[in-house]
Amino acid sequence: MNTIQISVISLGATGLVFSLILAFLSKKLKVEEDPRLEEVLSVLPHINCGACGFHGCRPFAEAVVKERKIFNGCLPGGKEVNDKIINILGLKDTVVTKTKQVVSCRCGANWDEKIHSAIYDGPPTCRAAHEVGGMIDCVYGCLGLGDCVEVCPVDAISINEKKVHVDVNKCIGCGNCVRVCPRALFQFRPFKNEMYYVACNNPEKAPYVRSVCSKGCIGCGICAKVNESPFYLKGNLSYLDHTKAVESAPQEEAKTKCPTKCILKIDA
Amino acid sequence: MENILLIFISTVLINNIVLSYFLGICPFLGVSGKLESAFGMGMAVTFVMTLATSISWLIYHLVLAKWNLTFLQYVVFILVIASLVQVVEMFIRKFSPPLYQSLGIYLPLITTNCAILGTALFMVTREYGFLESVVFGFSGGIGFALVLLVMAGIREELNYADVPVIFKGASITLIIAGLLALVFMGFSGLISS
Repeated sequence: MNTIQISVISLGATGLVFSLILAFLSKKLKVEEDPRLEEVLSVLPHINCGACGFHGCRPFAEAVVKERKIFNGCLPGGKEVNDKIINILGLKDTVVTKTKQVVSCRCGANWDEKIHSAIYDGPPTCRAAHEVGGMIDCVYGCLGLGDCVEVCPVDAISINEKKVHVDVNKCIGCGNCVRVCPRALFQFRPFKNEMYYVACNNPEKAPYVRSVCSKGCIGCGICAKVNESPFYLKGNLSYLDHTKAVESAPQEEAKTKCPTKCILKIDA
Repeated sequence: MENILLIFISTVLINNIVLSYFLGICPFLGVSGKLESAFGMGMAVTFVMTLATSISWLIYHLVLAKWNLTFLQYVVFILVIASLVQVVEMFIRKFSPPLYQSLGIYLPLITTNCAILGTALFMVTREYGFLESVVFGFSGGIGFALVLLVMAGIREELNYADVPVIFKGASITLIIAGLLALVFMGFSGLISS
């Protein structure tokens, strides 16, 4: 017999012996699982976003089956998935279906609009760049290195010219980007067809804001003075009161009147 | 007997598998967060390592060396290790679900733990006999468990320490690992020939 034959036979024999042992043991040591767990798992979206407060879809399903309650429900799955889970478990209680939450990024300046006087050559993550001060002069603005892109489970965030763009139709409101952004630029907001937001996070006074960015909010308060405006000033920075932002007309007016054009609009 | 004691002490302390060969760093950093899971991981690795080294020895000397198939050693050793890890995983899942939960992904990853393949290969190159191999595998595992427990102990205490912001998280863990390796270098003169 030549070497190849011997090696094939001996390797095959060893493999066979081990597989027989494993097959025997897997019968012997089988763990009975709740069949409903598999059912619940099969309706979940399996993107492991963690928006429900658990580490992923499987821990969530385990907790749901074990405790027989749905906690906050599956956010990305929405009402459809939650209803299915309720059906599987035969739960009577109805889940509180919240309105869909999406995020918007409070920095709307692109690379040329942000004044940058430093070169950053370290690890290409915002968290590392933030530790050493970053490469843009504004200490509140977006560093544009894309930590949020990386953690987004549904690829809703993209970065173009170091400016963040959130695709609100894809966004599931899991909040991974909110947690990862070292400058806390992401904000939750209720999903609407027309969404306005202040794309600046700089609370300093106008001279400083102007010295670091051509698109920053200078706290002039014009947007807050518009008739029935949902915008309000806090310090030197404008905010949008989401509870008042119903009509789009005053928001549109504020947007056109803003001298630095830092109120932006997203169309869903 | 003296020989076996020598192997045990030198593998656990002097040539520690983690801190002087730098094998098995992944679970060393990954599972050393809590003492409890570190202990479980240490025991699982010790079990797998001891059995893997002994079974590998048997297969190597009774099958491979006999028919000049020593070039198959990597494949066969991996086969042995993978099967053993499967067995261990089934056992732990059946008899200790909390431990199974806390070990998480690191349990199936013992398969690719280079420390275990490392001991099996060292056992071949150092031409140990059967008893020596068993002791070598066992002490390798004990060395791994020891380091893991020391690390977990330090990291548990570290939760209450005032660590500078820059060093928080992974960096302080890696610094501690480096310091531990330095400390273990102090054992290098323990046995003089």
